[in-house]
Amino acid sequence: MAANWFSAPAPVARRVRGYFAPVNRTAQTPVLFDPSEQGGFSLDAPPAPWISLGWIQEFARKPGSKTAPVLTGIPAATLSQVRETLEVQVSFQFLSWTKLTMALATGSQHMNLLAPATGAAPAAIGALAAPAVTVQSGSTATSILLASADAAKFSAGSIVALDVDYTGQTGFVGSPVSGAFVRSALTDVDYIRRVTFNVALVSQVTSTGLALAEALPGGAPETGAKLQALTGFVDREGGSFYQEWSALFVMEGGQGERVFFHYPRLQSMASAEEAAISLDGKHKTNLNRVTLKGQFLALPVTDPLDGERVVCYRSFLPAANALV
Amino acid sequence: MALRTRLTTINPERTILLRGAVRPGILVEEAEAFFSPLPNDVFVLRWIGLGVDLDLGSTMVAEQCEIVYQTCGTQSFGGLDRGRSLSEMDEELAAMLQPFHTPKLNYTTTPPIAMLTQAFWDEPGFGPIAIQRDRLSRTANVTVYSYQEQGE
Repeated sequence: MAANWFSAPAPVARRVRGYFAPVNRTAQTPVLFDPSEQGGFSLDAPPAPWISLGWIQEFARKPGSKTAPVLTGIPAATLSQVRETLEVQVSFQFLSWTKLTMALATGSQHMNLLAPATGAAPAAIGALAAPAVTVQSGSTATSILLASADAAKFSAGSIVALDVDYTGQTGFVGSPVSGAFVRSALTDVDYIRRVTFNVALVSQVTSTGLALAEALPGGAPETGAKLQALTGFVDREGGSFYQEWSALFVMEGGQGERVFFHYPRLQSMASAEEAAISLDGKHKTNLNRVTLKGQFLALPVTDPLDGERVVCYRSFLPAANALV
Repeated sequence: MALRTRLTTINPERTILLRGAVRPGILVEEAEAFFSPLPNDVFVLRWIGLGVDLDLGSTMVAEQCEIVYQTCGTQSFGGLDRGRSLSEMDEELAAMLQPFHTPKLNYTTTPPIAMLTQAFWDEPGFGPIAIQRDRLSRTANVTVYSYQEQGE
């Protein structure tokens, strides 16, 4: 009778794939990944609310936790150990530049460059923006309903930001992703749309609204949401805001086995930095791929199972028929 | 066989008449009668290198596969489309190799039996174009890995 098992060597993985989900900063609630229920997901279609950020490279985990011995006797010998500090850093490079990868790879808040109003005075963070248009009810994450006169202000290929007006609130702003922390009331009515992660590319414009090429991260627009065109993104060196996301990294082995690294709370900890990688390693050329370098500090959560404070969950789903 | 199945989906028009039968345009050279010269517009696979790693729970076997393909373009364009034809074959090969794994099958029995592990490989290394009169050819290399199972 043929054996129906095999002894699996260490996983052979090609690359690492990264997924991020927004932490509710106000409630301090991370997004949890359950490998027992969700571990078999298609790498191209992660379960909500995880957002795929594609392949990453130079993925490295740097444990910084410190332990100390408890000594006893003469001469002293270690009786047991205690964990003095709990710290893990994660670093990697994004292979694409998007709103989300840029924001994650910067150590501060990340802003949208709203399309400027005609004749507005220049500003480093983007000039006074052209007025926002009101989104009509019935809109979805991929279809934005507008008055026909408002729809005519946009064209296919535009990038849009969608969120509510800023009305003087303080604390974390932006929904469902907190894009900034406001210490004292501001005067810019467009501020939330400057920091929102609710951005998307317009694929089609009709007389009734816009079709989006990708779903808005925040889902269907909330009541009172408004829309503005944007021209790009900007971040600043400095500031006091730290991005915080739940993160999931997946390595898939050649036998279909999977290794998950789940960080419920990951905060960016380094300033914006890029890496230049030559497109042709064998020949010296001037063409370099510019990747975004991200460095993060894992923050602890309390596991409700036993009350332990942890910063990372590493899961392994073995290959089919592999000895365990 | 996995590549052959994938090719029929990617480009069902790429076929070869071989031993009286029309087959997908991909073959293993050692499993056919001697060719001279190689047929045009067909992927020809050769197994040219072998390595083993015995220090694992299951022995890993690495086999270097050379994939040769060539074209003179089409008659309807008088061969002036041979560059485009070769580019099409480049794209088909890159598409055939994805995903980078396939279930391992035992073809010593009929029908073949699914084994427990998967064969897997990395991105292909494409060589430069070789020009011989009106014929363009290219060689790509892929290292295919698999684990030996009990009884092999």
